[in-house]
Amino acid sequence: MRVRARYAKTGKLRFISAIDLGRVWERALRKADLPIAYSEGFSPHPKVSFAEALPLGYASVGEYAELTFATALPLDPAMAALNAAFPEGLRVLAAQEAPEGAAKLAKRLQASCWELEYPAEVEPDVLERAVEASLAADRLPVARERKGETTTVDLRPALHVLAAEGRLVRAVLHHVEPQVRPSELHDALRLASAGAHALADPLLVTRIAQGLPMAGGLEEALDSGLVLVARDDAGTPPISVASVLQKANS
Amino acid sequence: MPSTTSAAQRAHESVWPRLERVLTQVRKPARYVGGEGNITVKDHAGATSAWLLVYPDAYEVGQPNQGVQILYEVLNERAGTVAERGYSPWPDMEALMRAEGIPFFSLENHLPLRAFDIVAFSLAAEVGYTNLLAVLDLGGVPLRSAERADDDPLVIVGGHASFNAEPLAPFVDVVCAGDGEEFALELDLLLKQWRQAREAGDVWPREQLLAKVAEIEGAYVPAFYEPEYLPNGGLRGIFPRREGIPYRISKRTVSDLDAWPYPKRTIVPLTETVHERYSVEIFRGCTRGCRFCQAGMITRPVRERSRETVKQMVAEGVANSGFEEVGLLSLSSADHSDILGMCGDLADSFEGTATSLSLPSTRVDAFNITLADELIRNGRRTGLTFAPEAGTERMRRVINKMVSEADMLRTAETAFANGWRHLKLYFMIGLPTETDEDVLGIAELGLKVSALGRQYGRKNKVTVSVGGFVPKPHTPFQWVAQDAPENLRRKLGLIRQRIAVDRQVTLRYHDPLPGVVEGLLARGDRRVADAIERCFALGGRFDGWDEHFDYDRWLRACAETGVDIAWYTERERDEDEVLPWDHIDSGLEKAWLWQDWQDSLREVELDDCRWIPCYDCGVCPGLDVQHQTGHLPIVHASTR
Repeated sequence: MRVRARYAKTGKLRFISAIDLGRVWERALRKADLPIAYSEGFSPHPKVSFAEALPLGYASVGEYAELTFATALPLDPAMAALNAAFPEGLRVLAAQEAPEGAAKLAKRLQASCWELEYPAEVEPDVLERAVEASLAADRLPVARERKGETTTVDLRPALHVLAAEGRLVRAVLHHVEPQVRPSELHDALRLASAGAHALADPLLVTRIAQGLPMAGGLEEALDSGLVLVARDDAGTPPISVASVLQKANS
Repeated sequence: MPSTTSAAQRAHESVWPRLERVLTQVRKPARYVGGEGNITVKDHAGATSAWLLVYPDAYEVGQPNQGVQILYEVLNERAGTVAERGYSPWPDMEALMRAEGIPFFSLENHLPLRAFDIVAFSLAAEVGYTNLLAVLDLGGVPLRSAERADDDPLVIVGGHASFNAEPLAPFVDVVCAGDGEEFALELDLLLKQWRQAREAGDVWPREQLLAKVAEIEGAYVPAFYEPEYLPNGGLRGIFPRREGIPYRISKRTVSDLDAWPYPKRTIVPLTETVHERYSVEIFRGCTRGCRFCQAGMITRPVRERSRETVKQMVAEGVANSGFEEVGLLSLSSADHSDILGMCGDLADSFEGTATSLSLPSTRVDAFNITLADELIRNGRRTGLTFAPEAGTERMRRVINKMVSEADMLRTAETAFANGWRHLKLYFMIGLPTETDEDVLGIAELGLKVSALGRQYGRKNKVTVSVGGFVPKPHTPFQWVAQDAPENLRRKLGLIRQRIAVDRQVTLRYHDPLPGVVEGLLARGDRRVADAIERCFALGGRFDGWDEHFDYDRWLRACAETGVDIAWYTERERDEDEVLPWDHIDSGLEKAWLWQDWQDSLREVELDDCRWIPCYDCGVCPGLDVQHQTGHLPIVHASTR
């Protein structure tokens, strides 16, 4: 039985690497005594796979994993047992059985919605102006350092939507190769805030959701819900870290 | 005193908000976040005593340490007692902490060191000494005991290296040699009185605090002892300088391991560490009598944990951790009187699961192949490790590693015949009385084992691993001269040259220079402390790591503080020389150790006292324990 899960990686857990995360999952599956399937071969591994590695230090309430169980099992109690076995900061928020022959979840992960939370000293109108200027710009050149070499990349093609709400900035970024990091989006905002070179670093950056880019946001990969970065004309409220967690708790 | 109140408040604030903003700037930030499975996070508001347990090495090395894990649980189980953990920050992190003004902190609540009543270091090896000073310095505690204020945290060390704590004497308030379980709980009661008095406005003078600590059995308070030296530079003695202070301090010994079934809930790391498994000691102590082995000498007598207790601990430990591997720890695990039954039980219970068993320390004999086969019933046969320790039978008689070459080769052949593909052999060079013939014997043995391996598979491999011998306190070799590094290099060259004829044999070895520093710290006296402090000030950290060890820095530190390294390492001691650790009573009679050293020179072997009559090493009398094993000595003696 194949299961797709959307999970959160928050708090202290956001400082553990993708490799470490895999081991934490495997141990929790064993501790919860769930019948995870193992790969064949010389060195059998539990069948758990992850999409889109989250860069170290960022939180997320929109990560995805695909699990294969050796036997069919009721999902809700299994995920509750898994959540009880996870260390604090890791939590499955939603899960569903993948239909037989369904395409890989990764195909539906074409964009990420991010939330950048700025500290109290940042004035909301500074963020608003930076967002407007960024959206109006044809190009958003930022410096990127990789392997000791600094190049300039244009973020504009990857930027799908962008909005500010108080001290929060939300953006949907297309998944492009190489990945655009939220820190680079912050750099672009800092440059666009024209003169406000001291735009402080965000306190916390959280990935809210992943899915297919849609007008004003994206369609979430697991349940196809519409994720908006700003309130639309019909008054639909935007997504936020808080709203995702609230929904998972209800 | 309002000014100190605000400073005290700051000392009790979590560093996490400051830390999390900068944490992505360092390598492996997961080392510093805590949050692991099975940790205990207590609120300090209700605490009546607070311990910071520190393993002064990198997180991935220190986290699996069994001693810290045990004390962590034992202390946290007591109401009102808080125990948290800390590990040495990697140099990039230390630099960041200094730049950001972040003090040394615990992983549970991310509290600064000064928020704790006591900082307790586990010292498994001497190479952690500079890191210990770095922790104190980062924690804002004066390095020297004499400079600490009445309300500074108490600084204590335990672990094997504490059997000669003289090189650390000026830096530590208390040393505990031996088993820590009972000692920690007794000291904890005193900490509670100390804190209660302090909070009531009655701050005990430091000396009064230390005097009370010194009353606890097994507590060595270096400040109350003073070394006197002879004109030739040797020790005249280390004498108590306070009334009621004993001349010698006995190590602590826990008598019944079944009464201390720890760890119950092993901490499960979030990031990779050196050992990721549920580990349980199946016995403490060892009476094999290998003359080089400090661990075997200082942990006597043998105290076995019963098969039933081990079985229950493992069942619970695996279930509450999710670990896939179980380690049955001891100094020679195959010697447990019920080892085959114990492994059989465990292998049965793991049937059909991915859980595997490992026995880290086993001796070389055919019985172990049976055992190893049992262990990997449901796994694959990759590598087996044996420690012949020396290359010739003569050399093995000197070190009392009682195994014949014929036995060893038979064992190797059985292993290859049973499908094992890779044998690793551990040896030492620089042993007392060693000749070039003995050294070449290492290469010859490796080649012979490899030739046997080839009969069972063209690709079978042998790894010969060679380390330089470092003489340790409380062993029959505590008097010997350590081999000079240049001589060790020459000997390694002999082995390398001889082994080169066989490509299936790999030689692994360590540079001899770190061993020189280890030797200095292992057998040093109080005068070596200045060199340690100087080396720390010159930037010395992580001396156990090749990329950080800097021999020239140690040479400079020793030169500047007047410490003659060779005098400590390469000088053979006389029978009547006072040794810096003579006042720490490991239970072993010095006269017996000397006798055993003389026997060694005559190549006389001494059998294990579990199956021969007692030879009076001195450990058992005075303890309310004898060797506790299921072995029947007479039966064993007649079958061997």
